[in-house]
Amino acid sequence: MSKTFNKLSRPYLIWLIVLALLPVGVMFGLAFVKTEGVSFDTFYFSLESFELITEKSTITAFINSLFYALVTTVLCAVIGYFVAYRLFKSNLNNKLLILTVLILPMWSNLLLRTEALGNIMEHNNILTDILSNIGINFSIGIKGSPLAVIIGMVFTYLPFMILPIYTALEKIPYALEEAALDLGLTNIRKFWKVIFPLSLKGLTSGSIMVFLPTLSGFAIPQILGKGNIVLIGNIIEESFRNMNYNFGSLIAIIILVFILGSLLIINKMDKEGETLI
Amino acid sequence: MTNYPKAKLEDYGYKDYSLLNKIYKIVSWIIVGIVVIMLYLSIIMIALQSFNTSSDITSFESFTLKWYTEIFSHRQLRTSIINTFVVSIVATTLATILGTLIAVGIHSLEPKKRNRIMLLNNIPLLNADIVTGISLMLIFSLLLPLFPYLFGPTTLIIAHLFFTLPYVIISVLPKLKEIDPFIMEAALDLGVKPFKALRKIIIPAIEAGIFSGMLLAFTMSLDDFVISYYTTGNGFDNLSIWVYGSIGRRSLTPAVYAYSTLLTIVTLGLVLTKNFISKKRGLKHEAK
Repeated sequence: MSKTFNKLSRPYLIWLIVLALLPVGVMFGLAFVKTEGVSFDTFYFSLESFELITEKSTITAFINSLFYALVTTVLCAVIGYFVAYRLFKSNLNNKLLILTVLILPMWSNLLLRTEALGNIMEHNNILTDILSNIGINFSIGIKGSPLAVIIGMVFTYLPFMILPIYTALEKIPYALEEAALDLGLTNIRKFWKVIFPLSLKGLTSGSIMVFLPTLSGFAIPQILGKGNIVLIGNIIEESFRNMNYNFGSLIAIIILVFILGSLLIINKMDKEGETLI
Repeated sequence: MTNYPKAKLEDYGYKDYSLLNKIYKIVSWIIVGIVVIMLYLSIIMIALQSFNTSSDITSFESFTLKWYTEIFSHRQLRTSIINTFVVSIVATTLATILGTLIAVGIHSLEPKKRNRIMLLNNIPLLNADIVTGISLMLIFSLLLPLFPYLFGPTTLIIAHLFFTLPYVIISVLPKLKEIDPFIMEAALDLGVKPFKALRKIIIPAIEAGIFSGMLLAFTMSLDDFVISYYTTGNGFDNLSIWVYGSIGRRSLTPAVYAYSTLLTIVTLGLVLTKNFISKKRGLKHEAK
C-alpha cells in the first residue's frame, strides 16, 4: 500500500522496545544483585538468587508446572480439536457467534469462575443441595487434588485452543476437500492427508496459547489446589510479595526462555500471527 | 433363461457407512454440548449463588433478587466495578483506534521490517501474565522518582493498553491483506488525501476485523487479574483485585455473583439480538 502510512508503526516500535524489551534487561540486572525492592540505591553483587533456585522446593515447583502445563495442553488439544472440527463441519459458519459463545465466560471474572468451580468440587454445594431436593444424591469432593487443578485449567483455557484451530480450519478451501474425495481418498484419509496438515498452524498456536499461561499461572492452582500444589507462578508471586525482587526476576527470566522458544516457533509457523486468536 | 442373482452394491465393495456416520454425528454433538456445559458450569454456579437468600454457598435457601440491588449499594463493589469499566473502556477505545492505525502502518512496511515488528508484537500476546505484570511494574517503578504518584489509574490503563493493542493489530492485519491495493491508488489518483482515503475506503473495508479486535481487547481487559494486580497503586482496585482480596479475607458478598450474572445475561442478549437481526437482514437481502 502507499508509503504514506509507513510512519504510523514507528511509535509502536518504540513503545514495544520500552515496555517489552527494556524490562527483560532490568530483570536480568536484578537477578545478579541483591537490592531492596527495585531501588538500585543500595545494591551489591550477589548470587543468592541462584542458590535459592537450586533448592528442592523450587525444583519441585518447576517440575510440577511443566507436568501440569503439558497435561493441560494435551487434553485441551484433543478436546479443542474435536470441538473446532465439529464446528467447522457444521452449517454454523457464523464466526462472530462462535467467538462470542466461547469468550463470553471470560466476561465473568477469572477468580470468581475459579472460586465457583472450586465450590462444585466440594462435597457440599448449592448444586448438590438442589439436586438432593429432587432426589439425586451426587457429589464429588476433589478440591485440593491434582485432578481439580487440571480440570480447572483445561476448561479455563480451552477457548484459546478452539479459536486458533477453528480459524486455521476455516481458511481451508472446500475445493481441496472435493479434490481429495474425487481422487479417491476416504473421509478418514482425507482428514489425515489434507485437513490435519493444513490445520497444524492453528494447533501449534493454540497449544502455545494454552501451555504458556498454565505454566506460569498462580490463581488457579492456589484456589483449586487449596495450597497443596505449588507451581512456579506461586513462587514468583510469593517472592515479589516478600520484596525479594531478585529471586523473582531470575525465575521470570527462566519462564521467558520458554516464551522466547514459543515466539520463535510462532514466527516460523505463522509470521503474521493470524491464528493467534 | 437362468436367473442370475442380482449383484448388490455391497458386492462391488461398497460399504454402507451412513448409519455409522449418523451415530458419529450425534455422539460428536453430544460431546460438544458437554464441553460447552463445562465451559459454562462456573457461570451457572455463579448464577445459582446470586439467587440464593443465604450468603452461605453450601445450601440453597430460597430465591431472591436482593443481591442485585446490593450491586449498587455496596460501596466498595460499586467503586471497583466503576474502576474496571473506566479502565477497560478507556484502554479498549485507545487500543482500537491506535491498533487500527498501527496495523495500517505495519501493513505498508516492507516484509523484513514487518516481520521484525510482528515478532515484537507477539511478545505481549504470548508472554506469561505474571512476567508482563512484573515487567511493567519494574518500568513504572524506575519512573517513580520522576512521578511519585504514578501508580494508579494511569499505570493500569497503560498496562491494559499494552496487552490489548496486539489483539487489535492481529485481528485487523488479515483484513487489510484482503483489500485490493489498487483501490487505494485509485482514490489517491482521483485526488483524495491519504488520511481521508484511509477513513473513507480502508476503514469500512476492515470494519469486521476492527470489531472482533475490539471485542477481544475488551474481554481480555475485563478478565485480567495478574497484570492489574502488579500495576495498580494503593487504593485503586479493579474488580479482580477486590475479589482476590475478598477471597483472601473470606468476605465475598454474593452481590459480585449478581453483577457477574447480570453482565453475562446482558451480553448474551445483545449478541443473540444482533445475530437475529443480521440473519433477518440476510434473508431479506436474499429475497430481493
